[in-house]
Amino acid sequence: MNAIIVSALLGVVMMFSGIFTTNKTIIKNIATAGVLFLLAANLMEMNNLFSFNINTHDLIVTQRYGLFFNCIAYGATFIYLVLSGTDITEVGVNVAEYFALIFFVLCGVAILSSFNGLLMLFIGVEILSIPLYILTGSDKRNLKSNEASLKYFLMGSFSTGVMLMGIALMYGATGNFGMVHSNGLRGVVSATQQPPFLLVAGIVLLFASMSFKVSAAPFHFWTPDVYDGAPSVFTSFMSTIVKAAGMLAFIRVFENQYTILGPTWHIIVDFAIVTTLLVGNITAVFQQSVKRMLAYSSIAQAGFMLFALYANNTEIAKEGILLYAAAYSSATISIFAVLIKLQDYTLDGFNGLAKKEPVLAFAATVSLLSLSGIPLTAGFFAKYYVLAGALQAGGALWLIIVAVLLAAVSVYYYFRVIQAMYFKEGDPQTLPISGGFKAALIVVAAFIVILGVWPSALLSWLYF
Amino acid sequence: MSITQFLFYFLTVLALFSAVMVVVSKNPVHSVLWLIAVFFAISGHYILLNAQFLAIVNLIVYAGAIMVLFLFVIMLMNLNASTEPQKNNWLKLAGVIAGGCFLMVLVSLVKQANELNNIAVTMGTGEIGLIKNLGKALFNDFVVPFEISSVLFLSAMVGAVVIGKKA
Repeated sequence: MNAIIVSALLGVVMMFSGIFTTNKTIIKNIATAGVLFLLAANLMEMNNLFSFNINTHDLIVTQRYGLFFNCIAYGATFIYLVLSGTDITEVGVNVAEYFALIFFVLCGVAILSSFNGLLMLFIGVEILSIPLYILTGSDKRNLKSNEASLKYFLMGSFSTGVMLMGIALMYGATGNFGMVHSNGLRGVVSATQQPPFLLVAGIVLLFASMSFKVSAAPFHFWTPDVYDGAPSVFTSFMSTIVKAAGMLAFIRVFENQYTILGPTWHIIVDFAIVTTLLVGNITAVFQQSVKRMLAYSSIAQAGFMLFALYANNTEIAKEGILLYAAAYSSATISIFAVLIKLQDYTLDGFNGLAKKEPVLAFAATVSLLSLSGIPLTAGFFAKYYVLAGALQAGGALWLIIVAVLLAAVSVYYYFRVIQAMYFKEGDPQTLPISGGFKAALIVVAAFIVILGVWPSALLSWLYF
Repeated sequence: MSITQFLFYFLTVLALFSAVMVVVSKNPVHSVLWLIAVFFAISGHYILLNAQFLAIVNLIVYAGAIMVLFLFVIMLMNLNASTEPQKNNWLKLAGVIAGGCFLMVLVSLVKQANELNNIAVTMGTGEIGLIKNLGKALFNDFVVPFEISSVLFLSAMVGAVVIGKKA
């Protein structure tokens, strides 16, 4: 509850900070301090030191797992603001509002990690999405940004409509907004009995719209255009923290679904996983723009995260999705931070970066290794945990083999960037780079490697 | 057939027919007018379900405010046949296949459903749609989502200002 209230208030604070100062650096620093404050408030609730005591009628249930996810999301936001905060202030004139919208998104993250019931899920997803439509179109002079924003808004609204329809049908079947797997429903639907048809239709619609939100195939078509058109700083934000939160909500709402849909459930999830992995990885190979390649790679990574959905609440998969959120967010934020500093987003723009800016090239290399899941980086254990979870759930061997093969494909397109940086000649044009930025990149790279050697350094916080 | 049942079937046919007309009308203004008919029919259903407050709100907000806005936007955009974008045939085919698949899922679900057999329409029961009960539910059980949705509206307002202000 702390995180929801504090982040909403911080959003308002950011709005008002725009009245009192027009100095962009001060506004950025207020936002960075705000995220730290938010993190502290969340940690206090996690350690039972202080929390707002509100009777939510069981619509919001805070558990250590969700609070820990909040910590990861807010930590990633802090890294994001440190690395790319200055670039946010360069996007347009409404600097304070951009930060305010980011805090509102963080409020949505907190709701999605603690919702109990479809009503809160809906509000959380909307609070997560609506600020993003605006952030996507914040570069108003850029036609591509406008197009991306409109496209995202129209498609997002449509998928919201589909989600509402699903929720309405599920409400019609059960008479409450409870979680699909709440005890009341399990009492209604025994193993042999046919589930109410409204419930099944509702689950299918909800699955489709949640797939849209996390850009899982076949509902991924908006992703490349939107991620490519949006200002790069905001692409970085929405392909990491927001996507991880959406994925967590997806997994939480569909926990233990197989009891209701039976074997059909696995067909649906298998299809989503395989198409997402195929579309993401295969299409990424053909991209010339690194930004667009990262958009497809984020689809591919969503495919891996969906394994946690397949694994159905096994302990290792639940840990895996947290580790995945941390590893994927830190790596993607850092590679985007490097990308923003370059003038040319194509592969050729990276040529010879290692000679000119060795620190940037090194940080980008560590991030790319982590994204492709090479051992000794965080990405390896993240992939290992979710796949192990799926294996534990059973019946997924062929699926895991497909995933591993496609992970090998992903190595190809990630390594093309590394190859361009280290083995090609060129003179990349970069924006001015400060020493602090380099130091922060090194710290993030170190964090990725530490997680890759010792994942329980993060995960043990989940238990005590 | 009692008068309520007759009204129910009348409103249902009206709603379905108008909804189909919304989709098939060539002229967007006609679509909007048919949509208003849909809202009226649905408001009639609300009244049959003893939810007068919802019926009135549905009329005021949707049929009143939103549809007028809609109508103005469409008229200002001056849509006619010449400005209509040409759609790719493959795109149409893909749409038909996707929509058809979804229709198949829904139809097969309804066909399998046993619980629909021999269920008569019940009307005028329940009191949750009355304004008193609705208010009680909103400010007791659902007060947290009610308050949190203010964050949603605030972010939408901030967004409208950000988008609308001169760059």
